[in-house]
Amino acid sequence: MSSRFPLFRKRDLLVFVLAAVLAGAGFLSWMPQNGAPTAVIEQNGEEVRRITLSSITQPETLVLEGEISVTILLEPGQVSILHSDCPDQICVHTGALTRPGQSAVCLPARVAVRIVGEISSGIDGMTG
Amino acid sequence: MKSSTKFVAFTGILAALAVVLSLLENLLPPVPGMPPGARLGLSNIVSMYTAGCVGFLPAMAVALAKGLFAFLTRGITAGLMSTAGGLFSTLIVWLLLRKLRFGLLGASAAGALAHNAAQLAVACLLTSSAVLYYAPVLVLLGTASGILTGLALGVLLPPLEKLQGR
Repeated sequence: MSSRFPLFRKRDLLVFVLAAVLAGAGFLSWMPQNGAPTAVIEQNGEEVRRITLSSITQPETLVLEGEISVTILLEPGQVSILHSDCPDQICVHTGALTRPGQSAVCLPARVAVRIVGEISSGIDGMTG
Repeated sequence: MKSSTKFVAFTGILAALAVVLSLLENLLPPVPGMPPGARLGLSNIVSMYTAGCVGFLPAMAVALAKGLFAFLTRGITAGLMSTAGGLFSTLIVWLLLRKLRFGLLGASAAGALAHNAAQLAVACLLTSSAVLYYAPVLVLLGTASGILTGLALGVLLPPLEKLQGR
């Protein structure tokens, strides 16, 4: 191995410990959130639409016009990106989102769909 | 390296090598189940070599060349993400290798993490904080790819240093 740059030094462990802590903290944040799954649709960083998934009764498409247009399909209990004019189609392949924490992002179109767990303000629960 | 002409030409060759490696890598089909943006980072072998053995400015020039290439071939979003990731990871690798005397594996993993962090930050600014959802996976994959590119450079360095010494 090279004398100038050894492959491994003890201080390298700092990097790996930092990575492990970051990954651990991140995975913890993936723990399921409480509340009703709610789709939040954003375009260019601004919220376009926010809808509770269980309140959808009829399938509905939402077309976000832009340099790259994106079509979003809202169905009872789930939301998916149906079509995008972008080249990579990563967002379309993400498929249907149903649970809080899931997201589908189309970077070229600057469109993001994510599911959050929203505690609704109505009387949907009670404490005993 | 004595003459400045030779130096500029050498930096150009390194930049071309980095661009070709990232082009080759883009030709590989995406692995199912991997999040978007997860890459092996083959061209980071070149970036690390440049930062460690050639100098800070040439390494930044290589990162800019990669960013420009991504901008030309894959659009403004990819270009911005590649440039931000490349410049930030080059800075981190240079600091760790040259100033803080880390080993190749540590510097390489830190560089990969810095690359991912800067790309996520740009993606976050351009779209929404929803992209942060990928962060934990990117941290693990980034560390793994950093170890692999660090190992590759460890194998390549001794013959390269002989070449450069001529």
